[in-house]
Amino acid sequence: MTNLVGPVLAIARNTLRETVRDRIVYVFLVFAFVITLAGILLGSLSVGQDLRILEDIGLATIAFIGGIIAIFVGTSLVYKEIERRTIYLIVTKPIARWQFILGKYLGLSSCVLLVTFAMGAFLLGTICACSHEHVINPLLMESVLLIYVELLFVTAIATFFSTFATPVMSVVFTLALWLIAHMGQSLRDLARVSDNAGVTRLFEAIYWFVPDLAKLTQVRADLMYSRQPEPELLGFLLSYVLAYIILLLSFSTVVTERREFP
Amino acid sequence: MTNSVIETSSLTKDHVSHFLRKRFRVVDGLTLTVERSETFGLLGLNGAGKTTTLKLLLGLLRPTAGSATVLGFPAGDRRALAKIGFLPENPYFYSYLTGSEFLDFAGLTFGIAKQERRERAEQLLQLVSMSHAGDTPIRKYSKGMMQRLGIAQSLMNDPELIFWDEPTSGLDPIGRRDVRLILHKLKDRGKTIFFNSHLLPDVSEICDRVGVLHKGKLVGSEKVSTVTGGGGYQNLEEYFLECVNCEGAAR
Repeated sequence: MTNLVGPVLAIARNTLRETVRDRIVYVFLVFAFVITLAGILLGSLSVGQDLRILEDIGLATIAFIGGIIAIFVGTSLVYKEIERRTIYLIVTKPIARWQFILGKYLGLSSCVLLVTFAMGAFLLGTICACSHEHVINPLLMESVLLIYVELLFVTAIATFFSTFATPVMSVVFTLALWLIAHMGQSLRDLARVSDNAGVTRLFEAIYWFVPDLAKLTQVRADLMYSRQPEPELLGFLLSYVLAYIILLLSFSTVVTERREFP
Repeated sequence: MTNSVIETSSLTKDHVSHFLRKRFRVVDGLTLTVERSETFGLLGLNGAGKTTTLKLLLGLLRPTAGSATVLGFPAGDRRALAKIGFLPENPYFYSYLTGSEFLDFAGLTFGIAKQERRERAEQLLQLVSMSHAGDTPIRKYSKGMMQRLGIAQSLMNDPELIFWDEPTSGLDPIGRRDVRLILHKLKDRGKTIFFNSHLLPDVSEICDRVGVLHKGKLVGSEKVSTVTGGGGYQNLEEYFLECVNCEGAAR
């Protein structure tokens, strides 16, 4: 059991160290804080909706900046190991490829968790500072957790592409897939309105192939209106994302398994 | 029970160029045996296929033809890798870690317990004369320090079989002497050592047997004592040059 978990933990801890010691993460974090503070300014332009705007902007910032960190760090995760030849010191140790991939993924996921938590705490602090009487939406942190679930998915996509594509191409692919994943309903609508059977089939195929994260966003929005989702729906969404993550990490393992290291 | 630690049979590796898909042979029908507790030096000119051979033995590359077993397992098998220490040529490490952190990481990948990892890391840093630099970030290391750290990490699991690719590369004369001393200590402990080198005096001093690889083919394999003591050669260099000049004529 130690032999199964030990290498995974070693790589995860190492990846976490690598990412938290990377200055780019802090640059993005400061950027996120600035945007959140800008939410106060935008809120002041509204009529009595200042805190709602601050919440919305803060949550959108967490999702966006968290995603950017996951993509920019994640897409070079495996590629950098190969490019810098540090991979030689990993694959010549008794580490299975799945342990390597899982360790890398868990390490980056831990970093994303820390960043998400930091941004969430900053948002909470800003809301408290802006209005002492304001009752903080108890579902705010639940919403942040759902953002993290989505970021776990983005991290898995970035990890997958980093096993075979250059960082630039991985960023493009990951961003595209992340974007399309939010347009599931639009894809179906496009398929429905098209007169061309081929186009209809194409959009239907893309819809079934690409994960649909729109529902997750919808649940997050509902939470901000204090509408608690059904536990079954929440369970389904979590299982859905988890299944995709497992699938992507399995593909990553297969790609790494087949790879040679000249 | 066989006493062979490394066995290759007609091991062949072709590389295919990216653009024109042109195939060229890097290792050509290599048949080789290394016995337990033997120190074997693989010699060859640049591009002879030494590093590729090592990578095939470690499972970093898959053979085009032929086979290789290491410690009784197919090359690259994790059961064998658990007993192997590997130093790549010009090793690269995680620049954001310190030397001690890297050794701890290496120990953890072998499933070594925390206390044992710490003790072993200290011992190994001492062995490679790097105790003073254990807490220094690797990005501040010189080339020689990197090489020493590479040697230390390759011994973290107290391996049965050691693969070192150009272990004295980038080292100053004192560093080279230190490496030779470490190799002697490992030999005394009965370790099997397989290494690639260009530096014939080092090889001559340390190795029990050498193999000469030329254009991917093993063109010579002989005990060092035979070469230097009554084998008709003045030194290893003369033997090496003759093997390379008589290309293809396996001795």
